Amino acid sequence: MRPLNFIALLLFLAGLVWVFTRSETTVREIQRTYYSTVSPLISRGTDMEKYAKDFVAEVDHSKDLEERLELALRERDRFKLIASRIQELELANNELRGALNFQKKTNFDVVGAQVIRRQPLTWGRTIEINRGAKQNVGVSLTVVAGNGGLVGRIYQLGDDVSSVKLITDESSRVSARVEGSTEMGILEGRRANFGEAQRLRLRYLSKNANVRRGMKVYTDGRGKLFPANIPIGTIEDFESGPVAGEAIVIPAVDFQNLKTVFVISGTPQT
Amino acid sequence: MLFYHLSLILLLAFSCILQQFLPPIPALHDARPLLLPLVFLCSAVTVPTASMLLLAFLGGFLWDTQQVLLYQIGDPTIYKETADTLQFGYTIVLYAFMGFLMQGIQPLFRRGKWFISALLTGIAIFFYLWVEYLLISFVRGGFDFSNAILNQIIFTALLSMALSPFIFAILFKAAKSFRYTITFDSLKRQRTHLT
Repeated sequence: MRPLNFIALLLFLAGLVWVFTRSETTVREIQRTYYSTVSPLISRGTDMEKYAKDFVAEVDHSKDLEERLELALRERDRFKLIASRIQELELANNELRGALNFQKKTNFDVVGAQVIRRQPLTWGRTIEINRGAKQNVGVSLTVVAGNGGLVGRIYQLGDDVSSVKLITDESSRVSARVEGSTEMGILEGRRANFGEAQRLRLRYLSKNANVRRGMKVYTDGRGKLFPANIPIGTIEDFESGPVAGEAIVIPAVDFQNLKTVFVISGTPQT
Repeated sequence: MLFYHLSLILLLAFSCILQQFLPPIPALHDARPLLLPLVFLCSAVTVPTASMLLLAFLGGFLWDTQQVLLYQIGDPTIYKETADTLQFGYTIVLYAFMGFLMQGIQPLFRRGKWFISALLTGIAIFFYLWVEYLLISFVRGGFDFSNAILNQIIFTALLSMALSPFIFAILFKAAKSFRYTITFDSLKRQRTHLT
């Protein structure tokens, strides 16, 4: 081995030891610094992406109109297109109305946000939203969907964007209770393959817990991570183990089609 | 030489940011091109070992800063069992291994057979993801290596491999601009010996 390569290898190993011995707080600090540095770029990139999409849609729309003017025989198709567009707008309108209602009826101070990016990590389950420190969003705040279902917690924070760690991530933990019973447990994300329906695991229930399919699961507020009484999902199945019971939970939130979320920015209003 | 190496570091940083804008493709089993590992692998074959180790360190560090999800800290009386996550910095080791693999075919690359290096980037990314998945399964328990995961890894490797000629084109352009000759150590020694 050449002396230069040997020295490089030694330096590399020294660097590796330095990285491996960093405390968790230091790693969080490194990640925080990195995210706050790149978040303006993410925010600007998202704006550009939206602009490009709008432009392409506009071009498509103009071409479409031109064709329809020239070919009167396609009038029927045009009406069909308009009808489907109205249907789309109606759906979007309903969704926004639902979101607005949620904001009005919730007891919490909430900040509405749009999902701008899904699953930016290879194995981890996260989303990015278009609200950050400037809009009073903070690290560890709870994020819920328009239907009130639990989505996750703010993991990283930028000025105008934030990263949300979903409850479906394997490393996520939520203290939860089963409605209509005294059962409490810890809810964990479950590895889901592509195309599979997302499920959660409610662990550490009693061995013979009186838990049935269809029962609702809510946060119980213990452990200081999530406020109490936020819907999480519905029990799908229960298995009794040698020491404890475990339930499979269907999430209340459709994570695949999540577009609008709300960050609970403060304590419940009285 | 210095400017070429600096350009590689800048390229790594740029690819790290660009990676954020590459969403998973549902039609390809949620696969996506892994730009940062790809830039590292392509660069690794063009530089000497010492520089490759530096790039592995920087690339791995950036990747883990972006990708590692730490567990949440709650009340330990309630959250008794925390989720195990991979140690921050593990990617540096994986990158170094992949870098040595790429350096193994440097003689062929020097002879102009860059397409073999391009092929190897796909293979390296496949093994990288496979090992990463195995490590995650090992620390968290519950090994489940389904066809869906295999497809996701295969398509990710293929997509990344398809982009490698473009990365090589950028590297050749940078080498030309900064008058850097992609040297191969043993050839250099051979030349010295002959003269």
